[in-house]
Amino acid sequence: MELLDRYLESVRKYLPWQRQDDIIAELRANLESQLEDKEAELGRPLTKEEAEAWLKEIGPPTKMAARYQPQQYLIGPTFFPVYWMVMRLTFFWVAAIYVVVNAVVIATTNGTWNSVLQACLRLPLVLMTTAAWITLTFAAIEFIVTHYPSKLPTISVSDGWPSTAMPALEDALSPKKKQRTRAHAIAEVIFGFLFLIWLLLVPQHPYVLWGPGAAFLHSSPFRLAPIWFQFYCCIVVLNVLQLGWRCVELARGAWRQAHPVQQVVMKAIGLIPLGVLLSGQVWVLLRNPALDQAQYGPTADGINQGIRLSLTVVCAIVSAQLIWEAGRLGLNAYRRRIAAMR
Amino acid sequence: MTIAESLFENLRLELRRGCLTLAVLAQLRQEHYGYTLRKALAERGLVIDESTLYPLLRRLETQGLLASEWREEDKRNKRFYRLSGDGEEIFARLLGEWHDINASINNIL
Repeated sequence: MELLDRYLESVRKYLPWQRQDDIIAELRANLESQLEDKEAELGRPLTKEEAEAWLKEIGPPTKMAARYQPQQYLIGPTFFPVYWMVMRLTFFWVAAIYVVVNAVVIATTNGTWNSVLQACLRLPLVLMTTAAWITLTFAAIEFIVTHYPSKLPTISVSDGWPSTAMPALEDALSPKKKQRTRAHAIAEVIFGFLFLIWLLLVPQHPYVLWGPGAAFLHSSPFRLAPIWFQFYCCIVVLNVLQLGWRCVELARGAWRQAHPVQQVVMKAIGLIPLGVLLSGQVWVLLRNPALDQAQYGPTADGINQGIRLSLTVVCAIVSAQLIWEAGRLGLNAYRRRIAAMR
Repeated sequence: MTIAESLFENLRLELRRGCLTLAVLAQLRQEHYGYTLRKALAERGLVIDESTLYPLLRRLETQGLLASEWREEDKRNKRFYRLSGDGEEIFARLLGEWHDINASINNIL
């Protein structure tokens, strides 16, 4: 029967070449027997339409051939959870490092908005390349473990189970931090107040901040740029706000634990002084530019470049931390919402 | 196909998969070639697709549970299968497991 021959040839194309003839011979014997039975029942050969319907019932050649193949996957269920965890962690760290490095490069080379845009557009490619390498590595591990199990020491992701490395039950179920005591909250207010007084003394009495270095700074050819005063004002305002907030908490009896949102907001506000400082073009000036430019000008430029680089890195790290914590907060809120819906 | 139907179909196939192996091993206590095995199972109420049964026979043979030989019958070469020594032992254990599960499910129901 021509249709059956064509069907079997189609199946053959998708079979492993070492076993093609054997499988096709067996399949032919089975299907021909089935065909004979059908024709014996009808008392005549099958029409073309009936034969087509019969083969359609058996299923497409690709499906038939696929069932003869061993189950195939790039990364099997044993390694997949580890693969997924590695992928997520690597994605996070690659993205974080990429952002920091590019922020530093753009800041130090006076990059334009165009260079920022280009850096953003390159990020997906970097992440895809990373994903491809991780997938290839795990696929190679899966292949070796599947095909050469006897030549390898036993690899098992459950080695060392049960493990003491698991988080304690209390921590796992309740990720909340230890509650603050009333004494702790009072101490925070007292020390916050003392710190504020100390901070307010700095402009008039610089030695409380610099110590003996204040005299050295006073006699050096350098002086601090006005941007530091703006930075100082921001720090003072922030500390006043924080102290006020703690006093309100203490008065309301709500000192036990800071709300996670509040913690993230405080961190976000903490970025303001850094941003103000970073907005300055210079941080160190010459006391007498006309006299000292030739001798100390390059040193001042070097110091300014160093400060710019450091501030950029610090800003990038703090921003990344903030994004991470805000993301975690959002994820926890989402999980709680899902749990509440169940 | 709705999501519920698709879910049911997946679960049904999952439930059937192990049972089919057990049924094939049971039926191959007597020698059969693919088509007669399929007919014998169908006569006892278990209809299996060709694309499921024939590859399954190959897999069970590769695993050493079945033994096979090519032989001519009715002027046609056919591959006959039967339970191997290892297959008989595994089948007995699987059958015990099947009875236990069946009894447990009946108790639960």
